[in-house]
Amino acid sequence: MIQWNADLARRLQCREEEKKGLGPIIKRLMGLDRKARGEGFLSLDSELPSIDDPLLVIGVRLVMEGVSGEALEEILATYLLVEEKTGWPFLKACVTIEGILALSESDDPALMARKLLPYFGADKALAALEELEKDEAASQPEKER
Amino acid sequence: MIEAIAEAASCFFDASKVSRQKKDALFELAARIGVLAADTRSSDKAIEKAAAIERRKALKAGLEILATGADPEAFDRAFAQSKHRDADGDPGSELEWLLVRAGLRGIADDEHYSIVMRRMTAFLGAEYYDKAEEWLSDRAKRRRAKGESLVFPGELPDVIRILAMDKRNLERVLRAAGHEISAAALAGCPQESMDLVRPLYGKIGAAALEDDAARMRVRLSSDEIEQAQTAFLEVLRNLDERGELHLGPEDELVADPAYVAAITKAILSLDQTIIKGAFRQAEGALVATAMQGMEPEAHDHILGALSKKETKRILDAIDEADPLPKRAVQGAGMRLAERLFEAAAAAKAPKAVLEHLAAVRDWGS
Repeated sequence: MIQWNADLARRLQCREEEKKGLGPIIKRLMGLDRKARGEGFLSLDSELPSIDDPLLVIGVRLVMEGVSGEALEEILATYLLVEEKTGWPFLKACVTIEGILALSESDDPALMARKLLPYFGADKALAALEELEKDEAASQPEKER
Repeated sequence: MIEAIAEAASCFFDASKVSRQKKDALFELAARIGVLAADTRSSDKAIEKAAAIERRKALKAGLEILATGADPEAFDRAFAQSKHRDADGDPGSELEWLLVRAGLRGIADDEHYSIVMRRMTAFLGAEYYDKAEEWLSDRAKRRRAKGESLVFPGELPDVIRILAMDKRNLERVLRAAGHEISAAALAGCPQESMDLVRPLYGKIGAAALEDDAARMRVRLSSDEIEQAQTAFLEVLRNLDERGELHLGPEDELVADPAYVAAITKAILSLDQTIIKGAFRQAEGALVATAMQGMEPEAHDHILGALSKKETKRILDAIDEADPLPKRAVQGAGMRLAERLFEAAAAAKAPKAVLEHLAAVRDWGS
């Protein structure tokens, strides 16, 4: 459910240049999702050492543990609320949480992307989706080879 | 936007203003509340006893509210009012109040102690995650395996067994169903089902699922458990329809069209007297499952041969039946065909009828 309020809208404001950083974050989340769907959620353990975002590490560990739904959402939101984040770090954390929730529900990676892309902003989401799909298509033959 | 963030946006709180020493003390407080969350499940008086001896103001006030039997919302409202008694603007006190509220609200909601602990320690920040993990792992190690099971008539244990042949399938359904539905559905399954599910979670998550399933066996009615099982199977069916499960041909939810044609033909070839005799003896669940793999005209032929009472019995069983994988539907059809074959042979039915039934009875062999 999309819920906006003035305080959150203010907190989420950041420079367009910074928003470009969402692309790699979304790709990373989709990669984790793909691995969980293919090899099982416990296989995500091997990914943890390479993740440098503490919120993502906690989220993945909670998902591996089987925490889901409202409890997962509220626990992750608490980690966010006890830090005075604004701007890009806040936006990044919101996208990470949304991605973890999609991961926990075992969403198809394409569906996950569609849940996360609106964070680029309505005017940029479509272009970001096109770019993401182009990257995905380009990486597909490589994987097959 | 994530609902929980939007709802709690007015509660942004900078926990970095709270000293490490205070946070360590709050972790110990969280651990005490975590133990209480576990104890309340085995003792109705645990909250009252804890409230009577508690000396910390916020926790004592919260426990007294909980002891009245308040639900989560009522607890929140009452606890919010009690806050003003202690409000002194100190960040440590504020953090304590938030942590206690989260923990006690979890208890009011009958959450597993691991979730209650996770909720509370989240207020202390990421650096306390490992400490909470260690605490929870220790408790999970020390818990005693329940080993009890209350089995409801239904096909879920068979479905779980089939899904577990490829663990990804079972895991996908469990994750998509979520903890609540999965635990409630497993509450009506034998221990064997839980044994198949447990390796798909970490130690803490497996303990939580098993404890919650055991808890729901006591708290939920049989109707509620059946509803959860139906919801679980609905999730399975939706995933299958979206092509998200890696089912082998035997595990698909849609029966083989050749099999459907064969059993329909066999049923339609039967004299109504044979149907009447054989179906009177057959269990409703077997018939309902087998009928999932027949064309509607076979249903009409069967129900047309039965008395009103027998028809009602079969229709009730069909209403209660869950959608099952091809393997289970065809297996039930083959068992039913075997019984019908015996009845038809005893009634000296024509050779063609026996051949139709034998074809279904021996399907795939």
